[in-house]
Amino acid sequence: MPIFSRPTNRRDIVGRICLTVWMAAAIALPGCSRPASEPPLVAERESPSDQAATSPPPPVTEQPAFAPPPLADLDRDAKWIDRPVKDALALLREQQAKETVACSVAEALALTNDSAAANAKILSALGRLPDDGQADLEARLDRHVAGDLGSTNPILISSAAEFDILGLTGFGLFSYDRFLEPFANAETVVSWQTSADGLYDKVVLRDDLVWNDGEPITAHDIAFTYRVIMDPRVPVPAVRSGTDQMRSVHAYDGRTVVFFHKEPLATNVWNVNFPVLPKHVYEKTWEEDPTLKDSAEHVKLEEKPVSGGPYEILSRKRGQEIVLRRRANWSTVKGRKVREEPYFKDIRFRIIEDPNTALLALKSGEIDEMVLQPEQWTTQTVDDAFGRLNTKATAPEWVSFHFAWNIGSPFFADRRVRRAMSYAFDHDRMLEKICLGMYEPCAGNYPPDSWMAGPKKLVPYKQDLDTAEALLDEAGWTDHDNDGIRDKEIDGRLVPFEFTVLVNQQPFRIAICTLLKENLEQIGVIANVRPVEVTTLQEMMQKKSFQACFSGWGSGTDPDSSENIWKTGEMRNYCGYSNPEVDRLFTEGRRELDRGRRAEKYARIQEMLYEDQPYTWLFWRNSFYGFSKQLRGYVFSPRGPYHYSPGAGSLWKPRAE
Amino acid sequence: MATYLLRRLLLGCVTLVAITVVVYGLARNMPGNPLTAQLGEDPSRRITAEDYARMQRAYGLDQSWPEGYLQWAQNLLRGDLGRSITRKQPVTTLIGERLGPTLLISGTAFLLIWLAAVPLGLYASARSGRPDERIVSLMLYALYSFPTFVAALFLQVVFAVWSRGTAWELPLFGMTDLPPDAPLGGRILDVARHMVLPVICQTYVSLAYDIRFIRANMEEAVRQDYIRTARAKGAGPWRVLFHHAFRNTLIPLVTLLGLSLPSLIGGSIIIEQIFTWPGMGRLFFESIRERDYPTIMGLTLMFSVLTLLGQLLADLLYCLVDPRVSVD
Repeated sequence: MPIFSRPTNRRDIVGRICLTVWMAAAIALPGCSRPASEPPLVAERESPSDQAATSPPPPVTEQPAFAPPPLADLDRDAKWIDRPVKDALALLREQQAKETVACSVAEALALTNDSAAANAKILSALGRLPDDGQADLEARLDRHVAGDLGSTNPILISSAAEFDILGLTGFGLFSYDRFLEPFANAETVVSWQTSADGLYDKVVLRDDLVWNDGEPITAHDIAFTYRVIMDPRVPVPAVRSGTDQMRSVHAYDGRTVVFFHKEPLATNVWNVNFPVLPKHVYEKTWEEDPTLKDSAEHVKLEEKPVSGGPYEILSRKRGQEIVLRRRANWSTVKGRKVREEPYFKDIRFRIIEDPNTALLALKSGEIDEMVLQPEQWTTQTVDDAFGRLNTKATAPEWVSFHFAWNIGSPFFADRRVRRAMSYAFDHDRMLEKICLGMYEPCAGNYPPDSWMAGPKKLVPYKQDLDTAEALLDEAGWTDHDNDGIRDKEIDGRLVPFEFTVLVNQQPFRIAICTLLKENLEQIGVIANVRPVEVTTLQEMMQKKSFQACFSGWGSGTDPDSSENIWKTGEMRNYCGYSNPEVDRLFTEGRRELDRGRRAEKYARIQEMLYEDQPYTWLFWRNSFYGFSKQLRGYVFSPRGPYHYSPGAGSLWKPRAE
Repeated sequence: MATYLLRRLLLGCVTLVAITVVVYGLARNMPGNPLTAQLGEDPSRRITAEDYARMQRAYGLDQSWPEGYLQWAQNLLRGDLGRSITRKQPVTTLIGERLGPTLLISGTAFLLIWLAAVPLGLYASARSGRPDERIVSLMLYALYSFPTFVAALFLQVVFAVWSRGTAWELPLFGMTDLPPDAPLGGRILDVARHMVLPVICQTYVSLAYDIRFIRANMEEAVRQDYIRTARAKGAGPWRVLFHHAFRNTLIPLVTLLGLSLPSLIGGSIIIEQIFTWPGMGRLFFESIRERDYPTIMGLTLMFSVLTLLGQLLADLLYCLVDPRVSVD
């Protein structure tokens, strides 16, 4: 039985935004495989020529006017190359079929997850998709979410909770799998093609797609959404980076949409991936209220948004819960079954901000899953009270932590000093005593097993106080006045090596900074640890008003997403790092379409960063999850178990025996 | 009386302007803004400098803080408190949604506190120094110093986890488990069950404090000459306590009551956070973290008005409880 992945493409949406990388799509589509005898399930609104003739001029946007060429000309000249169109659940099922199951479900459920071997068995046995008829399709999933939604409008969202909901209710064309490989979603797309010159992506949509109000989902919705996103009056927080790399998006008919790129970039594949609004709902309200939130109509839509994904919002108690209900007209359109049903009838997101309360809720069976804090993993989920109803699993995530050195400060302008900091820090002690052996050491910008890290493995720094001292001596930081603190003459003044390291108020992070302070004291450097509130810390980093700080980044699915951290003058280049070769390689990497050659460029960037040590990289963080013993189908990606396709769509509960 | 009221109201308005100017200035000058908080640490949620400027304009963050304040004040005069930046809702709607749940907890706790504090306070002073009073005082001390977040967790474990499936079971968190279309009676009962643990947590610390407050005032009152006179005239111990002593401790009590008014709607961040209660405390806390200036200002305005009203009310009640006091 083919299983279609609903939560998939919406997850994608999440992804897209999250990753900020957008996909390119182009497709030729001539033959959408609907039998000629059958009427189309979705009426095409306009013929290509009608559309070209009647499309209204775009509203106030920053985009220059763009006249799309006729589709026939494009088809003649583009030399379309087919791109992958996949069903995420079927893909996962195929992949799992090749894997050996480590133990039975009963054995896995009896395990206490106290070792890597036990963790592997749990993931292997409980992460599998159901066989036919095995899943309870009437079940409800109770998910934990740590905060309420700010918005349900797909293009206005920015928080993790909003992405989680959008992953289930939103409509999208593209997705990526657990290895973060992009594809077009077979649930919504018939074909996806890219022109040989990389300047166009063509997508043909399925003809059996409807919004939950019964209106057809068409290519015009996608072109319309692009125009709204690009309207400077609309306060879009995150979605615009990516769409702004395109020249235009044009719907040639109800099913064919072409994305026109400014340049043939490797990242176009992500740029085309943005959430979609229902044109029939917003086309009038948008002009009346470009904020998309002020008018009475938009306020109403916030409560009950029109949904294009497999779920719709059934009810919402602000600050308490959001209940989603499986849409009947997702899987059955005009009386015809066109997609498989998602595994859960209802998904209830229960908002619990306090992690202790959330853990009690998991222990008492009120929620089916939650993200565990590291200390919850090690100390509060090892007893029978937890194991009675639950199990837990962990996997590495592409999230790393580091000390950032402000190169603009007199202390860290010299890379020998930055390297000395990395040598002075006791990495082993941090990993063993503070991280409790749960995290892998981090040596650089890209995860060591990712394609962009290249074949050469960077060796994580180890504490070597002699080398650290030698580097500081070499850089001129010696103890001139014999007071036990290193100093250096700068602008005619003897400056002691005493700096402040900023950190947010989490005890775990403060402990790591305190260890740095202790280590540096041994080589005559004073580090003052200053915990600050998270938004304040963010602001201080943005304004570069810091000397050093402890921070972390989640890696995007594409290496280009770190360009804004390292390229000269970029907004998130908090360290003030500047290396013309790194700048050049990022630009080239984005333009290089061959993955092998791209990887070489990013690997080179990583090597240069390793040499320059603008960060002292510390560790890769794992994701930790507690799951009800009733739950199956959790498969982790480098972005956790949900933020990919099928992600949350692969979760299921077995039928009662 | 009318002159007094008018004077107080005018003074209140001036105070209100001063408070809102200071709070707005402080809020806008805190490091970070709503965009900083929204974009967070995810490098993929990048934004260009142009987009950043565009978003700043959209939220009115390109104005200086005095300009922003004037804009806010003008809107206020038109009855518009603005719209939350992060929650995309009018601030009045947000406050309206949170007011009911907050009052449910704090109103119930307030009633329970005063219904219990007065008799227990009088009991403690009547039995002062006796073993039973010592034991009660010791317990009150213990309660007063018992942190709410520990008590909350303890209550949750006992009543929501260990008592699961028994008659003692109480909900772990939230305000209701029933859908909005459930029968009214069932919904009321459901909300009442959800209220029990947060109300206990909200009540016990204040109860311990108020009992000790009443007792301390009574201790002072019973040492006065007029009490000795009353006793000499043959008044019974309870009559002395109620009629002569307690009535004379009402002024500090009324002050305390007046100051409690804003806390009635202020909510409790800790209790609301632990029990996921959709109240005002959480809203205020979150809006500060998110730098959601319109919400911060809406809540500040409401708290300030209530504080001023509470003080006015207390001043007016003085006349009622003490004939020697007159507003004229």
